[in-house]
Amino acid sequence: MTRVEVDRDRCISSGVCEHLAPEAFELDDDGVLQLLPAEPDPAVVAEAVRACPSGALTLADRAH
Amino acid sequence: MSAPAVPSGTDFGISIDDVDLSDRTFWAQPPEVKHAVLDLLRAESPFAYFAEPVIPYLPVGPGYRAVTRYADLEAISCRPDLFSSGAGAVSIQDMPPDLNEFYGSLISMDDPRHAKIRRIVAKAFTPKILQGLVGSVQAVAEDVVAHARRTAAEGDGTIDVVADIAAPVPLRVICDLMGVPEEDRAMVLQQSNVILSGGDPELIESEDNAVAAFLQAGELLAGLMTRMAVERRARPTEDLTTALVNAEVDGERLTDQEIASFFILLLVAGNETTRNAISQGVLALSEHPDQRDRWAADPGLDRTAVEEIVRWTSPITWMRRTSTQEVELSGQTFPAGTKFLLFYAAANRDPAVFADPHRFNLGRDPNPHVGFGSKGPHFCLGAHLARREIAVTFRTLFEHLPDLEVVGPPDRLQSSFVNGLKRLPARLAR
Repeated sequence: MTRVEVDRDRCISSGVCEHLAPEAFELDDDGVLQLLPAEPDPAVVAEAVRACPSGALTLADRAH
Repeated sequence: MSAPAVPSGTDFGISIDDVDLSDRTFWAQPPEVKHAVLDLLRAESPFAYFAEPVIPYLPVGPGYRAVTRYADLEAISCRPDLFSSGAGAVSIQDMPPDLNEFYGSLISMDDPRHAKIRRIVAKAFTPKILQGLVGSVQAVAEDVVAHARRTAAEGDGTIDVVADIAAPVPLRVICDLMGVPEEDRAMVLQQSNVILSGGDPELIESEDNAVAAFLQAGELLAGLMTRMAVERRARPTEDLTTALVNAEVDGERLTDQEIASFFILLLVAGNETTRNAISQGVLALSEHPDQRDRWAADPGLDRTAVEEIVRWTSPITWMRRTSTQEVELSGQTFPAGTKFLLFYAAANRDPAVFADPHRFNLGRDPNPHVGFGSKGPHFCLGAHLARREIAVTFRTLFEHLPDLEVVGPPDRLQSSFVNGLKRLPARLAR
């Protein structure tokens, strides 16, 4: 499966990822991005990573 | 289905040597003429050079490059270290730094300050918080539409889509968000018009007075916000102003000056842009009745329809960046200090990215438009709010004003920066 990594220094809490894939991403009450435990559609997650305006999201293949 | 034929610049007899993007009257022309010119620039001169417009009392700078290709615009946006906003993102001329920060707030700021303040305000704009506002946006839209119906019934059956629908919805939403008292709202509308007039003669009496009018508008708005900040510190409420006066990042709070600047940013960025998307969305639907009928019948189309309206209208025509060192773009080299105007309106019709770019297609998907800005830290903070307001307003129009009919040509704002309508006459048939 694919795994998403967040660069906290780059994230601007734009919410674009949550807009595209609310099952995978959520901004908490402090506006900090949380990755949700669900296993969403990889294509949707890939689109969210591509669309992230701050370039804070990257896809990483999980080793196991 | 074939796209409506859109002539290229040469079909209008326009040669690239005749084009002057710094001429304000150019921007009041019909969209097909402007887009024909932007198409010509994108195809033949993607970093076209223009001299700066002359504004009284401001020094004339070295001119700018008009960036019209999507790929170049994105390359610039996502490298804020090479392409700075701090020298001014919303004006072609360099403004004095204090004025620049006051009017541009986050927009004309670079990291690390930008990142810090953005984190403070981003907390108030998460999708979750805005989800909680759906009901209030709905109530505002229904109230505004009912008022427009009464205006038509009590008069000759006509309304102005701008003054009666497109302007009040975002203004009331922003004022509700911030907790602006009812009696101050007319002033807020008037002064935000002055700041975003782009020097349009109808909104600013004389070009000589433009700078003075800007300053006065800013003072009035800042005065209101400072008063509200003091009140909220004493008596906190649920509004955004309270959240802003209390918000902390790394133990630091916003100063009164920063709160006032942010308020002005919200008014101009969150008010006029949404207004112009709504008014020009109404116009586009009246010009494409098949698309209108399709959307009215299918709420499932809301998501893609809103994105297409933003792409189609590109409410902000450009933002500026300034190179911090020698830079290379698409094989061309530019020295440090080069001004680049990022023409979102041109990138949003780039055939390299959008099939049939001049076709208004509410089902367009994917639609990676840059109407909220391209990639980078300055991506529109209020994108979710704008999407919500546009979707709710059109759904309310379909339900309550299905008889709305545009009856006259739009009166366009003479501004290169804001793609706006001043008036759009319509009739309610019932």
